[in-house]
Amino acid sequence: MTGGIIIGGWEYVIAAYAITFTVLGGYTATLLARTRKSKRGQDQEPSR
Amino acid sequence: MAGNSNEKRPLLAYGSIALAVVLFAIGSYIGLFVAPPEHFMGEVQRIMYVHVPTAWVALVTLLWAFVSALGFLFLRKWKWDSRMEASIEVGVLLSFLLCMQGSIWAKPTWGVWWDWDPRLTTTAVMLFAFIGILALRRFVEDPVRRATWSAVATIVAFADVPIVYFSVKWWNSLHQVQSTPQTVDSPMITPLRINAFAMLFLMMGLVGLRTRLAARRLENELAPPLPERETETRAIAAGGEA
Repeated sequence: MTGGIIIGGWEYVIAAYAITFTVLGGYTATLLARTRKSKRGQDQEPSR
Repeated sequence: MAGNSNEKRPLLAYGSIALAVVLFAIGSYIGLFVAPPEHFMGEVQRIMYVHVPTAWVALVTLLWAFVSALGFLFLRKWKWDSRMEASIEVGVLLSFLLCMQGSIWAKPTWGVWWDWDPRLTTTAVMLFAFIGILALRRFVEDPVRRATWSAVATIVAFADVPIVYFSVKWWNSLHQVQSTPQTVDSPMITPLRINAFAMLFLMMGLVGLRTRLAARRLENELAPPLPERETETRAIAAGGEA
């Protein structure tokens, strides 16, 4: 840091974007997988 | 209950997620490589393009949880319970991300990963309050009690959400005041807006998918037992084999 101005800092930017898209992507992937599994279960379930 | 709508493919949710991916790609490219660095914070300010949309959409998601809680208590329809469960889970995820991004931004700008200033403290309280409601939903097996108790808890926990929003105005906070088109320079507005819409569409897609899952589980919990299952249960109770 020089005179109140931050020099560099790309590593923080990369970390923030990486965490954001990893968490969002991971959660989306698990939800899609659970939705498919639920749909399969629904198709296989005998009708009431 | 969701009934027939659950059997259809959740095309709207998939479309919303796909649109979010495209918008995120465009918004993040502009935010990272086209928008100029801020005068004092330099490149670090680029975190704003994911942090601020996460904050806006986290609060909107928890507002939807609050509306759903009221919907369940006043209308007594199960679909509101599914919506509440979905929006709390997605809201917790976004609030957790919000704290992580904020912490990463705080280190180079404030010199610390965390500070107990009003904005950060109220956000942490909000996060843990809604995590508590998710935990409550896991522990209560009776669907009626689970839905009623968590709806009341959601209404109580939501009281913190406006406090989070206004904390930077009400108290002397280390955190800066809300970013708006009036406080952000014009070249920085475009990626901020694109990513805000991306986050909104992603949230809508995720809440849509999660609502269907919650509705499906409720359907199984509330459905009368199948005749085969009843026979099996009777056989097991009689000590024989099904």
